[in-house]
Amino acid sequence: MWEGIYIGVTTAVMPFNLLMMFVGCFAGTFIGMLPGLGPVSAVALIIPITYGLDPSSGIILMAGVYYGAVFGASTSSILINAPGCASTVVTAFDGYPLAQQGHAGKALALAAYSSFVGGTIGAIFLVFFAPMLAKVSLSFQSSDYFALMVLGLTAVAAFAGKGNILKALIMCVLGLMLSTVGTDRSNGVERFTFGSIEFIDGLSFLLLAMATFALAEVVMSVMDRSINAEGSKTSNVASLGSMKLSKSEIKEVAPTMIRSSVLGFIVGVLPGAGATIASFLAYGVERNFASKEDKEKFGKGSLKGLAAPESANNAASTGSFVPLLTLGIPGSGTTAVMLGALIAYGIQPGPQLFVDHPDVFWSVIVSMYLGNIVLLILNLPLIPYIAKLLEIPRTILIPLILFFSLTGVYLVSFNAFDIQVMIIICMAAIGLKLLDFPLAPMLLGFILGGMLEDNLRRALLIHDDSMSFLWERPLTAAIMALAMLALFGQPLLNLIRSKLGQNKGQEVYDGE
Amino acid sequence: MYMTIAKDRIGGLIFLALSIGYGFSITLIPMYPGDEYEVFTAKTLPAALALIGSVLSLALLILSRGETKKTLPDLDWAIAVKLMALMSAYGVILETLGFLVATTLFLLAGYWILGERRKILLFCCSLPLVLCFWFGLTQLLDIYLAPGVLLQWMGV
Repeated sequence: MWEGIYIGVTTAVMPFNLLMMFVGCFAGTFIGMLPGLGPVSAVALIIPITYGLDPSSGIILMAGVYYGAVFGASTSSILINAPGCASTVVTAFDGYPLAQQGHAGKALALAAYSSFVGGTIGAIFLVFFAPMLAKVSLSFQSSDYFALMVLGLTAVAAFAGKGNILKALIMCVLGLMLSTVGTDRSNGVERFTFGSIEFIDGLSFLLLAMATFALAEVVMSVMDRSINAEGSKTSNVASLGSMKLSKSEIKEVAPTMIRSSVLGFIVGVLPGAGATIASFLAYGVERNFASKEDKEKFGKGSLKGLAAPESANNAASTGSFVPLLTLGIPGSGTTAVMLGALIAYGIQPGPQLFVDHPDVFWSVIVSMYLGNIVLLILNLPLIPYIAKLLEIPRTILIPLILFFSLTGVYLVSFNAFDIQVMIIICMAAIGLKLLDFPLAPMLLGFILGGMLEDNLRRALLIHDDSMSFLWERPLTAAIMALAMLALFGQPLLNLIRSKLGQNKGQEVYDGE
Repeated sequence: MYMTIAKDRIGGLIFLALSIGYGFSITLIPMYPGDEYEVFTAKTLPAALALIGSVLSLALLILSRGETKKTLPDLDWAIAVKLMALMSAYGVILETLGFLVATTLFLLAGYWILGERRKILLFCCSLPLVLCFWFGLTQLLDIYLAPGVLLQWMGV
């Protein structure tokens, strides 16, 4: 392990990679701050640039953007009460009231420190857990991989939120359907190309990611009059105030940061759970843990209420790299985008990554830690200036983002037809968003589709065309059982709860 | 005016139609001789997906029977149509007018559609920015950008 860390450190501290880390953190912070554009959009926007870099530098840049975007989203939550992404919605609960009370500087500094603690604890856990899991998963066979992909898809659907499981599953299937467009990798047969030469290579992952997460998000933000009103509103916080935290304040929030970081990491590791659930959970836990006096402060500018979600969402962002790096299963929408980018590099994330590309594996882990430091030393002094970026008129910003998205895809394929396909997918994505269909499961289905088909085909070949591996091979059976649990666990629990509730109601009625 | 729609029912119907259409298109996938004896062919996964998609869409339709209509947010559709048309036009003129001209026009039109009327901003954020980007791509990153059919025809 120490040898690996050494490889990671030497790769990550190369001047060019350090530069990428700085650029990534800065660009991510800027993009993340724009209301409506979250980490997924930020990473999707940066992918075309990473294609010109070597894999280590590319993934370091993407990781920097990811971290920066999560932090940037917090900045807009605190300053203008407009969360850049779902995982920083909770940050606004106490961050914005703090800013209104004249403590915007303190709130931003606390967000930065909490992010640092969360990211650092997450990175330390990642150093120990990722190689362990990678070693175990080296014994995986095709059938286990197939089961893992099913688990990844079902887990993402299961965490989609109440009432959205079915929709998320449908979106997974849509993603899988889109992945079948093009030439079949095993026997060269064309599928769903309808005779068009443009579709022979299938849909490009970058095109799909850009159209759904960059174009659609931006167009939606322009369409939504309420966001327009928020976006045009510059910070009503007159001055940032002091950025210093007193000793007693640090003492007060330190245990919260540690607790929330550990919780955030654990939630982040679960495929599909992600930073949003982690931040809500951490906030809820801290509120329940707090004394009666502290509890009343929550929602009115509590330091603990700000530190908890910030630590948790950063730790969860790091945690989501565990399943990506060790099993090749993304833990969140953002890591799903990164998985696609790695595959485009010819690198297959999973247990073999640890063996075949130790430089990539370890440099990502080390860059996580360094990224946190960069974020702290870069963003903390720059906060007053970064906040000014929120004042760039949206009338200028939006066309520029559209231009970067379109050009990003065009510069990879040099085919103007891709722009038209992007627009069609963007329109479909807007429609799906309006119908409350989540888009991340679709991207995950699209990315995992090819691998799922290959592994199923191989598993069937190995097991003489029999599906018996699903129940005969213990590991495959266990993973499939977990997938079923992820899928049916919550609905079953709800059913039992409602039954119990009914019985209770009945008892009360009888008692009366 | 706010529009109210039954989101799940509409979504379910769309996906049911899509799954059926996708399932029908499987018949267009060519097969090699002997494929009929194989357990797993190019049609296997698509067939399974069409089936799963249909079942899930039907489940959504059935479960949304008692769905109450939800209100869509107040959306500015006109601006979305304008931006889509602009992007589509950019895709058409990009290879005809070339990167420099097409992108400058795209940005100018984009700013204008979104309501920017300050001439200095319109100018500063279009041509100079595109020139910087073009210089970075072609001169620093050595990426070839075709000058465009029109400019080539004019002998540029």
